[in-house]
Amino acid sequence: MSRGKSIIGDVDWGLILIYLIFVSLGLSTIYSAVYEPEHAFLFDMSKEYGKQSMWIGISLFLGFFILLLDGSFIIKNSYWVYIVTMVLLLLVLFTKPINGARSWFGFGSVGIQPSEFAKIGVSLALARYLSMKSSITKKRKKKSNTQLTLANYITSTLQAIQANAPILIILGIPSMLVLLQPDAGTFIVFTSFILVLYREGYAGNILLFGIVSVFIAVITLLVAGNTFFLPFTKVMLSGKFGVFLVILFLGLLFYFVIKKLIQPRERKTLYKALIGSMIISIIFINVVELGYSNILQKHHRDRIDLVLGKMEDPNGKGYNINRAKAAIGSGGFSGKGYKQAKLASANQKHVPEHSTDFIFCTWSEERGFIGSAGLVLLFMTLLIKIVLIAERQKSRFTRVYAYSVAGIFFYHFMINIGMAIGLAPVIGIPLPFFSYGGSGMMSFSILLFILIKLDAERKVILQ
Amino acid sequence: METYSNRKYTISLMFILIGLAFLFRLAYMQLIDSHWVERAAQISERKVVTYPARGIVFDRNHEKLIANEIHYDLMVIPKKVKEIDSFAFAKLIGIPIEEYTKRILKAKDYSYRKASEFEKQISPDDFTKIGPELYKYNGFFEIERTLRTYPKHVAGHLLGYMNEVSRRDIKRQPYYKSRDYIGRSGIEKEYEKILRGKRGVKYLLQDAIGISTGSFEEGKFDTLAISGKNITLGIDWELQAYGEKLMQNKLGSVVAIEPSTGEILSMVSAPSFDPDLLVGRRLGKNYGVLQRDSLKPLLNRATGSIYPPGSTFKLIMALSALQEGVITKESGFPCTKRLVGCHNHPSAQSVQQAVKMSCNPYFYYVVKRLIQQGKEKSIYKDAAIGLNIWADYVESFGLGTTSQIDFGGMAKGLIPSKKYYDRVYGEYRWAFSTIFSICIGQGEVTVSPFEMANLAVIMANRGYYYHPHFIKDIDGDTIPSKYLEKNYTKVDQIHFPDVIEGMYDVVNSPGGTARRARLDSIIVCGKTGTAQNPHGEDHSIFIAFAPKDDPKIAIAVYVENAGFGGTWAAPIASLMIEQYLTDSISNPRKEKRILDANLINYTKPK
Repeated sequence: MSRGKSIIGDVDWGLILIYLIFVSLGLSTIYSAVYEPEHAFLFDMSKEYGKQSMWIGISLFLGFFILLLDGSFIIKNSYWVYIVTMVLLLLVLFTKPINGARSWFGFGSVGIQPSEFAKIGVSLALARYLSMKSSITKKRKKKSNTQLTLANYITSTLQAIQANAPILIILGIPSMLVLLQPDAGTFIVFTSFILVLYREGYAGNILLFGIVSVFIAVITLLVAGNTFFLPFTKVMLSGKFGVFLVILFLGLLFYFVIKKLIQPRERKTLYKALIGSMIISIIFINVVELGYSNILQKHHRDRIDLVLGKMEDPNGKGYNINRAKAAIGSGGFSGKGYKQAKLASANQKHVPEHSTDFIFCTWSEERGFIGSAGLVLLFMTLLIKIVLIAERQKSRFTRVYAYSVAGIFFYHFMINIGMAIGLAPVIGIPLPFFSYGGSGMMSFSILLFILIKLDAERKVILQ
Repeated sequence: METYSNRKYTISLMFILIGLAFLFRLAYMQLIDSHWVERAAQISERKVVTYPARGIVFDRNHEKLIANEIHYDLMVIPKKVKEIDSFAFAKLIGIPIEEYTKRILKAKDYSYRKASEFEKQISPDDFTKIGPELYKYNGFFEIERTLRTYPKHVAGHLLGYMNEVSRRDIKRQPYYKSRDYIGRSGIEKEYEKILRGKRGVKYLLQDAIGISTGSFEEGKFDTLAISGKNITLGIDWELQAYGEKLMQNKLGSVVAIEPSTGEILSMVSAPSFDPDLLVGRRLGKNYGVLQRDSLKPLLNRATGSIYPPGSTFKLIMALSALQEGVITKESGFPCTKRLVGCHNHPSAQSVQQAVKMSCNPYFYYVVKRLIQQGKEKSIYKDAAIGLNIWADYVESFGLGTTSQIDFGGMAKGLIPSKKYYDRVYGEYRWAFSTIFSICIGQGEVTVSPFEMANLAVIMANRGYYYHPHFIKDIDGDTIPSKYLEKNYTKVDQIHFPDVIEGMYDVVNSPGGTARRARLDSIIVCGKTGTAQNPHGEDHSIFIAFAPKDDPKIAIAVYVENAGFGGTWAAPIASLMIEQYLTDSISNPRKEKRILDANLINYTKPK
């Protein structure tokens, strides 16, 4: 084990720069979002911007502290961090509910959200585990010999699950604990770790499978309520049969493609796969429809309907979204100006949560397209940068960790901004470094600085 | 190193694709789709209409006949009503606690977050009690409203009332919006466009519960409300009030005009009512009551009634005949009672005497000469020609023609023509002997009180008149020029003095029919009339002007079911003249007799 050259070493200054830009833009946006003339001082502790400044200060301090640490120290204690955060997640379930959920440890006017820190724990634990595994059990080595029967498929899947149980445990525990709070938003963020697994060789099919499923599910839900006439007949069918017909049609198409382009030897397996996937699709469509109608509660259905555009109600269920979109849309090209927002503003308050979950609206209304597009590009830059960092690692730990970080940021970014612009259902999760919130600021900062530190030591070979 | 390193491309591609999707969506929302800008405005801005002050209506001495007064509507936002002492509040407003609860529930029903009316049209006096206490009661606030007030409480018919616009009004005049108020009758209606001004618009910013947080773009787009123009009427409010007082417990009308301008000094319709009864909330209740009153107080007897002019018509007959040359001022005729009935009096040996004594047969002879001028051998054809000549004269006195007055609902009297009688009797099947009652202002001839007052004006001016009108002045504008032009009758001025001497005699000389109109200090000239009424007691009519030389007021009084003109109509006219010219009454007993009189012998229809 060798020490890093110095703290400065190979620190990625670009990443730190991006971080600082985010943080300061975020603070300035919070300032205008809850600005009160009587409390105009930036560090006024009674206002969110004062408190956020404090959190930023603490985060910077923590970040600096992390940079002083040894990378190996961090790595060695990954599981401990994990265990501590899991314990916190468990303990928080015994607190008094706030707003119907047990997500906070409150200390006076500030609080700590353990689910934010759990992300750090999981990222480190997962990285530790995967970096210690020598090889990955792969099921798809032999293509032509193994028959692609349903039974074989199930067996091999079960085997895979057994072999990779620890991963499921590492991810499963926090997911369940978070779901018990209940915090559906953070629960969904934990699915971001699929990205990491995908990169490490798992779940390629699952990823593809997952994307196709989402696609089919969305289409099913879109047309589920509609009815149409079977062409050339008088039979009236519900929308999902339309989807069936499309799948049938695609199936036929693929049949002909296989017949034409694939050699007869391999056709049989492909035919079986084709029929299998068609059957599964049809079953899946029915499941989605049933689940939507019978299992999901009304307000979930409403939120989904809103995103799909099936429901249009500016003052009812979609109140938040309608005003969020109006705030963004009315920003135009260059926005209304700093502190000139009319909807997501301090004294007009048309957009709720405009300093937390909907802070993107405040930013967009003030800065217009220049600002909003700029922010999106900045996030994309951040994500690509993290991918680049991940790929230049020799250490598997760091690579896995980096993808975890990328995945977490990606989810937050995608859902938070997507929600504000109406492309995702309303799920309350913060925009990293922007939204007001001490736990978020600290945990995102820690996530990033650990990455910076580990990356700074990339030239030091640990594993 | 790993064979999965290619997956970094998949992952990166996914990041980029989602990012691009967001960029496109943002570009669409912020650059292309403009409806969000409108939606944002809808949410964050509020258009508040500012209402202009309605024009004030003054009388000729610049006293306010109609003024504006600020009243208050008390509003409530149920969401903000928390922890208030509802008992104390109910007491403050002056309603029982059950009513308070009922109203709060009603407001919640309408909207929990938006304001609704709790109590309407609180007078400024009441509000001085309530206003300072409102801060104690969360969720309640006041908004100002202007209502009309009538400081003098006179001229209900003249001034008119206002109510909310109907859909038809809005369709006809797009300026109006729902909930606006519009003049519905009288001066309020006639001068609506001038009095109403123009509403303004204020653009405000509002927060999530609809409370305004400031002005939009510093008021750049605001337009100021333009106040309505004030107008001055020729009415003298004291004369009007006096007239209404004198006409209490009587049915009829009084119209007084200033001869030198045509300005109407007073228009009384009895029974009259206080215009204050029909303001704001009181309108609904009181209108119904007035409507159901069997004496029909809402009916404007000054504009709406027509009746035979009776003997007052003889003035026109005499003047026309003189002008036509069929008689001279010295012409005398016997009082041949078998032609047409008359009271006992010495025979009239001149026009002046005939007017003084109001001899019916005299005018029989006069009008026969006028109508049967012997131009045709056939009396029927002759009468036809004569009648047209007669009608020309009469119409030049302003009778039987469409009034040019600035007021609605003017009835038009009837002056029969050849066509008229042809329809009744057949062409050339009628002659003077058929229609003779017109000579004494009976028969088919009918007039309105305004036409009678105008006749008094013509006598005062010795041969011309201005179209009677109410408007004297409009703030910053001129009145129509037709009111400033003299209209001459077909009778030359030289014929007037004899008739006027007769009118002098009527009031001032022994044997005159209107001695009750005589005043010591002022020379009043007048003419009585008694309109026959087949349904009951005859109607009492009197027209006059004073002073004889340089007249300042011309007046026509009409009292239903009151018998001879000289008995009731004449003294009322003279009291009003005296009040107007000297501001005092020299004969209180005369006044008392009138005030105490109740001449309503009204029998309800079966």
